[in-house]
Amino acid sequence: MVKRKMKWSMVLLLALTLVSSACSGGGNTPEPSGNNAGEEQTNAGSGSGDNKEPVTIEFMGHGNPTEKSIFEKLIASFEDKYPNVTVKYTSVPPGEYAQKMKTLIASGKAPDVFYVGSAEFYRFAEAGTLLNIQPYLDQTSLFNPDNVWKQAMDRYRYDGSKIGSGDSYGLPKDVGPWAMVYNKDLFDKAGVPVPSAKAGEWTWNDMLDAAKKLTSDENGDGKPEVYGVGAYSLESAVWGNGGEFIDYAAGEVKVDQPEFYEAMQFVADLNLVHKVSPDQEAEQAMNAYTRFLNGQLAMFAMGPWDQPGFWELPFGWDIAAWPASPNTGKTATWLGSMGFGISAKSKHPQEAFDLAAFLSLDADGQRENFTLGQAVPNLIDMANGEFLEMDKSPANRQVFLDIIQDYGRPDIPYGSKDTQWIDTFWQNASKVWTGEMTAKDWTAQMKPQMQELYDKNNK
Amino acid sequence: MTTTKFSGYRRKELFWLYLFVAPPVLGFLLFGLAPMLFSIYISFQNWDMLTSPTSAGLGNYKELLQDEKVFKSLFNTVYLMIGIPIGMVISLLLAILMNRPLKGISFMRTIYYLPVISPIIAVSLLWQWILNKDYGLLNNLLWDWFGIQGPNWLGDADWVKPSLILIGLWGGVGGNMVLYLAGLQSIASSYYEAAEIDGAGAWHKFTKITVPLLTPIHFFVLVMGIIGAFQSFSQIYVLAVDGGPEYSGATIVFYIFEHAFKYFNMGYASAAAWLLGILIFIVTLIQFKLSNKWVYQD
Repeated sequence: MVKRKMKWSMVLLLALTLVSSACSGGGNTPEPSGNNAGEEQTNAGSGSGDNKEPVTIEFMGHGNPTEKSIFEKLIASFEDKYPNVTVKYTSVPPGEYAQKMKTLIASGKAPDVFYVGSAEFYRFAEAGTLLNIQPYLDQTSLFNPDNVWKQAMDRYRYDGSKIGSGDSYGLPKDVGPWAMVYNKDLFDKAGVPVPSAKAGEWTWNDMLDAAKKLTSDENGDGKPEVYGVGAYSLESAVWGNGGEFIDYAAGEVKVDQPEFYEAMQFVADLNLVHKVSPDQEAEQAMNAYTRFLNGQLAMFAMGPWDQPGFWELPFGWDIAAWPASPNTGKTATWLGSMGFGISAKSKHPQEAFDLAAFLSLDADGQRENFTLGQAVPNLIDMANGEFLEMDKSPANRQVFLDIIQDYGRPDIPYGSKDTQWIDTFWQNASKVWTGEMTAKDWTAQMKPQMQELYDKNNK
Repeated sequence: MTTTKFSGYRRKELFWLYLFVAPPVLGFLLFGLAPMLFSIYISFQNWDMLTSPTSAGLGNYKELLQDEKVFKSLFNTVYLMIGIPIGMVISLLLAILMNRPLKGISFMRTIYYLPVISPIIAVSLLWQWILNKDYGLLNNLLWDWFGIQGPNWLGDADWVKPSLILIGLWGGVGGNMVLYLAGLQSIASSYYEAAEIDGAGAWHKFTKITVPLLTPIHFFVLVMGIIGAFQSFSQIYVLAVDGGPEYSGATIVFYIFEHAFKYFNMGYASAAAWLLGILIFIVTLIQFKLSNKWVYQD
């Protein structure tokens, strides 16, 4: 037994090592993933001519090579400004980040400053891993809190039981408005007017009409070469229709409500009934992202971080508001965010806070970030000024700001300590996407299961 | 006088003995036994790696038996074992083919052994493309040669497991072939000569001599195959993203991994790991008991 078990655990260990070393480059997520394994970048601080004692701050994050080089530059200028502080920066491949972070925390070696995502934030804040930075925030003269998106700052508040209000436990690294992007050339070719950038003007029906005209099967093999719309955001449809995945305040899963299943059926029918969207098999064969890049998809979704990739495209493109539900006349989409947290065990909380504030809000860093197409500035005046004036696609950059201010919402895992309930939803949703079950029947069947998972792990 | 000298020598020898044995023993105690004991302890706790563990009693084990995904992933794991007998037949046939003294035979053996030493992740990524529905090599060949529209291998809940078996066969037959080859070469030719004198044909020689005399190899391949199937993970992780459509590709180790490193329920994952360990132990024990009935020992 012992022998078997050891062999087993060794095989598992080996497998894990293999997997973790290989999975960094394998994702299909729109966000490009970096693959420079855990390389440490230490910029030796000058620390001379200052009577403050030298301090070393550890900072861990993840991201693509562009993001890494931006941070290296930012850190160098931080160190110039604070000569007594040396920053030890580690960039981990995104796929390994959560695992590495948890292991470091469990062994009491958490870095002073680190990235913290939406679902993790809740757990970390509750577990006391994150430092309450409110006192530092109240005293700081580094920035004007009114010039930072409130929607982004509020993501990192925790009042002792729930998130969204109370003291700050983190600063935003970025805000990620999820917008609808369209291929302008395809619209022009089909003679279809382009979608409106203003929320509420363009409805599901308008989108469907456009998509029907845009979908074309040139060689007549029954498989369109160009589809009208792909990877349509279910979140946008549900929220726009007045539905909810969950009511976090009451702790109730709401997928069985009519507002929800109508919206889900609408998304499923884009393929099942109207054939304007690739089916699951076609999506597997070539995902919507690749189709869009190939000019074979008229409408798709994007975040600000997709800009550099899209700048290379040979066709014109722009962003628009997500179509509004004809039932409510409203639209919605999700607004992602990644934050900087500070370890509660940090020996140098002041310096750690200074670093987080600098990375989050330094004007030069923010400028570099948006010019390279990585994000929308966290600073409101910069976003409304330089960012809007920027002479690059998308022309309707105001859409990004509208989403931040008006109709963007936190992604679903925000507010959950454990995400199994929503993971189960996505894992089984193919029953609806393939037409095996109607959204109404399926959600009625899923709801108790999801509720049970939510109650078990979140209450 | 002579005895002390002898024991001094002996003592010295013992010292070296323990010194050389120490690294693996210490390594096992530190990196094998200690984590195992800890995982027994943690399987009775709730632990998310952030806060200190809290006692869960038998809660984790009870929960395991109520989770339909446990049974689904166990079913998937057992389903994948269909590949074991198929693999045994293919590797035996290959071994017989490779056992002939032909020119360049070692080159052929190398070709069949190559998948065994290829990194599993790289191979899985290749297969992902081969099995692609619209652009994959396999479906294009099926269409060009037979006019058959191939299935969506990795995207259809009914085809994920057969695909995984196919990949497992490709990667596994080479290793077993080498084992069978060694077995074949250890069968004394006198058996065959004696059988020939009695008028036995090729079929009889195969069924009455080759197959029975290879039973220890069959047994080894079977035991290792079943243990290996229980542990399959890497190819699943790459090929059946998120457990595949409707969780159809998730194996029990994938389930454990998900709970340990996605949800960070270390206690629950440890409990599942122990359940699996016990299961493998029982199955292997049964195999050893049954082996008395069919494995031929010289």
